[in-house]
Formats: sequence, structure tokens, C-alpha cells
Amino acid sequence: MPKITIDNKEVECRAGIPVLQAALEAGWDVPHYCYHPGLSIVASCRLCLMEMMMPDPKTKEMVWSPKLAPSCQTPVRDGLVVRFDSDRVRHNQDICMEFFLLNHPLDCPVCDQAGECYLQDYSYKFGRPYSRMMDQKLVNPKKDIGPRTLLYQDRCVMCSRCVRFTDEISGTNELCLVNRGSRTEIDVFPGKPLDNPLQGNVVDICPVGSLLDKDFLFKRRVWELTGTPSVCPTCATGCSIRIDHADNTIYRLKPRHNPKVNQWWICDEGRFNFKYVQDAKRIAAPLVRRGSETSCPDWNDLPQIIRFRLEEHVREKGDQTVAAVFSPFMACEEAWLLARFIRSVAPQATLVLGPIPMVGEDQRFPVGTTNGDAKFTILREKCPNRRGVGLVLTSLGGPSLEFEPFVEQCKKGAFSAAWIVGGYPTPWVSKDTAKIAEGFEFLIVQDIFENELMAGAAIILPACAWTEREGSFMNAAGILQPFDRAITPPEGAKRDGQFLFDMAGYSGLYMGDRVRAMMAADIPGFAEAYVPPPEPPFAH
Amino acid sequence: MSWKTIDRNQQVVDPKAPPVLTEAVREKIRSFFPRYETKRAVLLPALHIVQDASGHVSWQAMVEIAGVLEIAPSDVIDTISFYTHFWTEHKGKRVITVCRSISCEVMGGAAVLEELKTRLGIEEHQTTPDGKYSLVTEECLAGCDHAPCLLINEKLHKRVKPADVAKLLADPENDRIPVPRSDLFDAPKDHGAAEAGVGTTSDVQEMREA
Repeated sequence: MPKITIDNKEVECRAGIPVLQAALEAGWDVPHYCYHPGLSIVASCRLCLMEMMMPDPKTKEMVWSPKLAPSCQTPVRDGLVVRFDSDRVRHNQDICMEFFLLNHPLDCPVCDQAGECYLQDYSYKFGRPYSRMMDQKLVNPKKDIGPRTLLYQDRCVMCSRCVRFTDEISGTNELCLVNRGSRTEIDVFPGKPLDNPLQGNVVDICPVGSLLDKDFLFKRRVWELTGTPSVCPTCATGCSIRIDHADNTIYRLKPRHNPKVNQWWICDEGRFNFKYVQDAKRIAAPLVRRGSETSCPDWNDLPQIIRFRLEEHVREKGDQTVAAVFSPFMACEEAWLLARFIRSVAPQATLVLGPIPMVGEDQRFPVGTTNGDAKFTILREKCPNRRGVGLVLTSLGGPSLEFEPFVEQCKKGAFSAAWIVGGYPTPWVSKDTAKIAEGFEFLIVQDIFENELMAGAAIILPACAWTEREGSFMNAAGILQPFDRAITPPEGAKRDGQFLFDMAGYSGLYMGDRVRAMMAADIPGFAEAYVPPPEPPFAH
Repeated sequence: MSWKTIDRNQQVVDPKAPPVLTEAVREKIRSFFPRYETKRAVLLPALHIVQDASGHVSWQAMVEIAGVLEIAPSDVIDTISFYTHFWTEHKGKRVITVCRSISCEVMGGAAVLEELKTRLGIEEHQTTPDGKYSLVTEECLAGCDHAPCLLINEKLHKRVKPADVAKLLADPENDRIPVPRSDLFDAPKDHGAAEAGVGTTSDVQEMREA
């Protein structure tokens, strides 16, 4: 590992990275706009310039070079001596910031980026509190550049991150720089708007408020939002995300850097797939039917009711008539707790992995790349935890079935009691599947929304969306990733994990890592969960 | 939408419209492919070829160039908007550029401009109804020692007096440059496809007939 000296401090850094990245990773706050570790380097913003020791051409003595060098474009090498803490560097940052703010409209009070804006931060830290600009500011038009994104050109600092993103990551090339010099603008070709499955990322990488998400526009000030680390449940890739919420409402999802899975990006499908969580049609209270009577019992009584009625059924019909369907949207912990409960009542119960939603084909980016070179992949398997739930079911042993054979068996009357977990964001019970509901004498259905199976169900339980739960998902590559709960479930519902924790006979508070530790004793695959390392504090 | 915005979702090119680039133009663009490592690199010659053939590069021409070069149309507008001498809007066959800088001004450039306006019956930034001439002014044509001067397409006319304007406009050769601009552009010798059937770019008329 090369060692470089920054501001008289020796820093050990990864080989092959630019000095800027090394400085950021070592905790320096070096201002930068155009540099992004996931994109090519253009060194156009000139904010990250540094002083560097170089040999004097005449005396061969090491002296500070007469010109400042861009730290984003200078690779680290052993023995390199640089400094950011100098008057010349500070002067450059000062004049660069003045230049960036020359035509800036200073409309922070109505700007969505305010609070997470690097024009604000850098102006405060490296710029000056006044402007010497006396002429009329250049005014550029606002542009509707795509179905989900707006461009407010006045705020742009021309870092070209968004252009490079569509060029290098999505490979769709919609964005371009038009005109020249002070009149340069970001634009699209008219009629060819920014509309690709990854386009939301350009809003994330925009260091200022120039690219705006129409979905989040004017919804909430960002400093009121709380960010909770989570994992995207939309496909089996399992991208690291951050749920930004306030007042128990989710406002937006943002990607988190995860070097093993999604790098810095997420797809639009995942980004906007949180609306169903706040749907008014969600089931919010449990329902118990006995004959023609229905009741809404207290959550605390439910475990006893279910256990009693299931035990009754096992006594009458035998434990082989019991089945449980596990949704691939369940966390590993929840699947394990439910499986433990079912097997404790009916040791020969059949465990079934629910249907796996498959949509279209895998999409690889940049468009046109094959498997090996892809920088981002959206999988056709639209569920987060097929492998995790599958691992729980296979590790526990005993009878288990795929979903299709299970439906066939049900039609033949093999099962008369079942616990079916849904939790899919979209309707998942096909006409064929709906027919099996009639064959059960005792059916428990747990789902977010009402489904066709519920008509014949003895007990209906509200399920929670992943934002309200805690646990871990195992993605398509077999990486186990924990996620936190961001908001509370709708009033009347209870977190799946806590309820199943109670059902399985444990007392106390359900905590994902605690349950994972218990699981690891049986299943070594759950011993270690992968949490991506945090990004350097001043990197963006 | 609470803001007034330019809508970029609207099509500016009718997908059903007939192509504006003739096969001869396309073939000439393709003849530049062997000279460069990538097709993208042919963008600048392609823009010159199209501008020579049709006078300007329209939105539809940009899309068609992008199709020939297998790049995104945004790459074409990126490049075309960087250079000020590419025209994206319709203009006359010949563009008269009058100098409005100080040397020409003191030597009577304004009178020449007025005479042109009267003769052509148009104002600055306008095109004659017959599509023959467009009139613009520019800051300096780098001909101060021959002021006042004006440019017709690429040919510089020096020491123009108001009385000369009528004769100048009547001259059908008033935009012809006698010398070829470069071998590469006008007489591609080492590539057979370019020579067969396609004239040089300055012979716009011949190409149209072809």
C-alpha cells in the first residue's frame, strides 16, 4: 500500500486511487464537484486543486510545484507529498467558489437541495459570504427533461456528472452539454427525454439542486427527514438504500454505497417502489372467524388462539395435513421463527416457498453489455429473499415443496390446514391458486393487501411492508444484508417479526441481530451479515 | 407544474417524415469511416458534409446523422452547438456576413449594410423569400486592412462600397473560393468509394443532381 504525505501527515492509502479519494478516505474535507468515484475523471471543476512536491528542473531539489495540480486526476504513488492547507490552495477554492456562484440564483428557500447542497456547504466553508458580481445574472430556462426529472439550469455548476452517468453507467446517452463557455447548458435532444431505468441516479449525483426529482419536488425540507439504512426489496439484487422519512411517512429512497452489490446506484423501479406502503387499502387489524362468527381479537391473545386451533387440528387430522407457505418477501428471521412455530406444533408439516414473481428479462447496464462487464443489473426475479427463505426451509429439513406442486397437492386434498404468508406489493394470487382456499378447514392468511384466499380463511393477519420490519435479506449473490425498520406499521397492525417472535414462544423484544445469532447456531449461513463500509464523511 | 419549463418530451422530428439525407450524402459520410478509429469521430466531417449539402443541419438531419454514425442524437447536438458556424435552422443558400466592428464602421460599413438591406428587402437575421440570401452581422472578419468587408458564405469581399453591392449580388460566383480547402475534404484520393459517383463537397450542385 503506497504511503503519501498530506499536510505533513503520513497517510496509507489503497493503490491506484486518486489523491483526492485518498484524502477523503483519510478524513480530509477536500471540496470537489466533478469527481465521482464511480465515473470517469474530467478534472473540470478545479475545486480540488492541491500543491505537490516536485523536483526543481535545475537543482533537482524537491520544491512545491509552481502550478496547482488537480488532486482528482493525480494518482497516488509512494512518497508523494501534497498539501491542501496552504494559502494558494485556499485562494483557488475561494475564487472557484466565487465563479460557481456568479450566476447562481440564490433561491435556497425554494430549492429542494437546500440542506444537502454542496454549493451551500462549500460556499460556507471555502467561499466568501458576499458576491462582487454587479452585472445582470445569466438566466437560463428550466427544462422538463424527462417524465421523472426536471432540470433547473440556473443552479448547475457544470460538473457533467449526470452526462457522464448516462454515458458510462446507463449507456443511454440522453444527456449532453449544449452551447459553449458561460452559455453551456445541460440538455437532452428534444423528443428524446431522459427516460431510462436508472435515470433517478442523476438526481442523486447532482451536487447542487439542478436536477430535481419530480416525485419529491416541494414535498419536504431535507433536514426534516430521517435516513434509515435499508435494503431494496424490489428485485433479488438487494441494493443498499436509505429510507428518508418524517412523521412516519416515507418521502424518498436514496441509494447507499455498497461495493459488493450496487456500487452507488439504484434503479427507478426500486426508487419509487414505496408508494404501496402508504396505501389506504392495507389490512390493519387481525380477524378471526369461527363458523359464522367473526371477531377482532387483541394481538396478545392471538398466539394462544392460533396455537390452540392448530393443535386441535393436528390432533384431529394429523400433522402431515399442515402446510406453511413462506413468502420470498419475508426476512430470514421471520421465516425461521414461523417455521419453528409450525414445526413445534406439527413436526411433519410441509414447508413451502411461495411463488417467485418473475418479470421480463434481466436488464444489464450500460445497455448492450453482457454479464461480465455490467456495472448494474436489474434482475427479473422481483423479490428480495428467495435464497434466504429457501436456506431456512432446506436447513430445517423435513417435508418441503415448491409452490406449483403444493398447489397441485392442495387440489388433491393433501392439506387441510395452512399458514400462507403473502406480503407481495402487487396482487399475487392467481385464479388457479385462489381455488385451493376451499380445500382448507383451517387457513391462516397473512398479507399486506386483501387477496382471494382470504374469503375462506379462518384467521386473517395484517403483514407489514419491509420499511416497518427488521431483519435480513439474502440477495441473488448469496450476500446476507440486514435492514432496519424505518416507520411504524399502520395503526392496528403489528410488526411481523415481533408477532412471530411471540408465536415461537420467545418473550421480549424482537431484534433482528438477536434472532440471527439464534439462527446461526442451527444454520451457519446466517452467522455473518454483510454491512457495507460507510462512505468517507466528506465524499459525495 | 408551478414553474414555467421548456418541455423536452415533445418530439421535434416527425418519425414518419421522409429522410432529409440523400443516399449520396450518407455514402460520403460513410467514406470517412476508414480514416478514424471510431464512427463517432466522423461526426465533424459529417456535419460539414450535411451543411454543405443542405445549407443547414436540421433536427431531422441530426437524428439521421446519429443513425449513420450509430451514436445518440444528443451527441450530435452536443457537438453542433459547441461550434457557432453550424446552422441548425433554415437559412438562405448564401449567407452574407457584414462586419460591424470599428474599422469597417469608420470606413462606411453601415452604409453597405443599409444598401444590402434595401437591395435584398430584408433585415438582419432574415432570409429572402426566394431562399437565396440570409443576412447577418459579425464583430470582426479579420479583414480590417481592407475595410469595409463582408463575407458571402466562405468568400471574403474586401473594400466594398455601397455602389458595388448591386454588382456583387448579381455575380453568381460571389461565394466561390478558387482554391480547394484541403485534399482530405475536397479530393479524397486514397478511398475508392468516395471518388466513385460522389463529387466534392464544394460541388454542391453536382451532388444534388446526382
